[in-house]
Amino acid sequence: MSTGRLIVLEGPDHVGRSLHVRLLSEHLEARGVATMTTGLARSMLLGEQLKGRDRGLHDLNWRTRALLYATDLHDQVIHSIRPALEAGFVVIADRYTLTPEIREGIRGGDVEWVRSLYLDVPSPDMTIVLSAGPRRLLNRILFGEELQALVDFEAGMDLNLSRSVTTSFLEYQKLVRKAFTDVAEEQGFPVVQTRHSVEEVHAEIWRVLQPHVSDMLHPL
Amino acid sequence: MEGRGILIAVEGMDGSGKSTQAKLLYNWLRAKGMPVHHTEWNSSPVVAEATKLGKTTQRLKPMTFHLIHAADFADRWSSQIEPMLAVGAIVVCDRFKFTAMARDGSRDVPLETVERAYAFAPEPDLTLYFDVPPEVGFQRITEGRTSLKFYEAGLDMGWTHDPFESYRILQSRTKAIYDGLVETGRIVRIDALGSVSDVHERVREVFSAKVDLSGVEPIDENDRVAQTMRHSTLDWRRFESEGGDA
Repeated sequence: MSTGRLIVLEGPDHVGRSLHVRLLSEHLEARGVATMTTGLARSMLLGEQLKGRDRGLHDLNWRTRALLYATDLHDQVIHSIRPALEAGFVVIADRYTLTPEIREGIRGGDVEWVRSLYLDVPSPDMTIVLSAGPRRLLNRILFGEELQALVDFEAGMDLNLSRSVTTSFLEYQKLVRKAFTDVAEEQGFPVVQTRHSVEEVHAEIWRVLQPHVSDMLHPL
Repeated sequence: MEGRGILIAVEGMDGSGKSTQAKLLYNWLRAKGMPVHHTEWNSSPVVAEATKLGKTTQRLKPMTFHLIHAADFADRWSSQIEPMLAVGAIVVCDRFKFTAMARDGSRDVPLETVERAYAFAPEPDLTLYFDVPPEVGFQRITEGRTSLKFYEAGLDMGWTHDPFESYRILQSRTKAIYDGLVETGRIVRIDALGSVSDVHERVREVFSAKVDLSGVEPIDENDRVAQTMRHSTLDWRRFESEGGDA
């Protein structure tokens, strides 16, 4: 039996997942808990290809895309997540199985089928959904001078919601936010709004997480 | 005819001669003027790079092996197979989901898991399983080779360090799964022993008995000839002496 814990932070791009995964990891480490960070598109097998913007993987039909993401996560489960859990680490996943589900669900894919590809991966001990309004996400992209990097797929351009990449992004994020909120409600996942200060958001994440790791924490 | 075409799959172990027979079946149907498409397992460019990396680093495990092949198949399903069926064509698949069941199943991936991932691919109208005794397949594949490839031999399973011994184990497990599919009637066994011509004769027999081509609209002869002509020419001396367009 694994002694570690699997903690998942889910939510759309630019909501603050990476930042809060890092803070959470640092906080846990400060309390004497060994952590390992993982996430989608990070496998040695497929990570580079899935992250690469020029290979057109995102233009593939939805089933192929879903299967490639499933391959990517399983590669990590086999080679890093499961071993880390068995060794007693807290594994923090920057997105896990929810994003692939929601991504294909919004595009009319068969969510049950996508879900079935992940039946044998370790279940999260805790999933936290980070949420923020579409305009806020767009403003973060603008302020971060990343508008040029806003790729068509992230903006949901393939859904033909609008011909403008920014308008499409706003419309698309509305759908994404609703999908995350619906799943969170259905599954009882806490939703943390990231419009507050970084400290406040982290405090909220820590508050909902603490009961799940309290037995592992050492005094500071 | 618009709508559902005819889906034909060929299956069998390495060295069973199924690819040769698939090609012959394809060429026969093509020669009959049928709209027909041929597609092979593991041929989609999108996963080629990752599969190669996974194999050279020996990183692929049964579950990822299973999923990456399913991704390859899903790509061909949506880009080749489904579109051809949609216009009423015949599609000849050299290996289908039964290969995944046989290969991944012999690596201890539960068959339900494999079937779930391939749930979008319906049962073919006819699946021909080219059955040869394991010893014959073994002979054909290992003839003149001093070793076998890591995954080909099933060395990833760690049954044994001897590639040839490992291959025999993999073969017997694969065969057991195919035999089970024959028993449940999902695939049709063809005796693949004998000359290529003899086996092809058996293929035609089974095919003609089980597949009704009456609903398939043949390609017009003028179009067939025109396509063939694009890559060839006439004998002009004969053409002139016969009076040209006469």
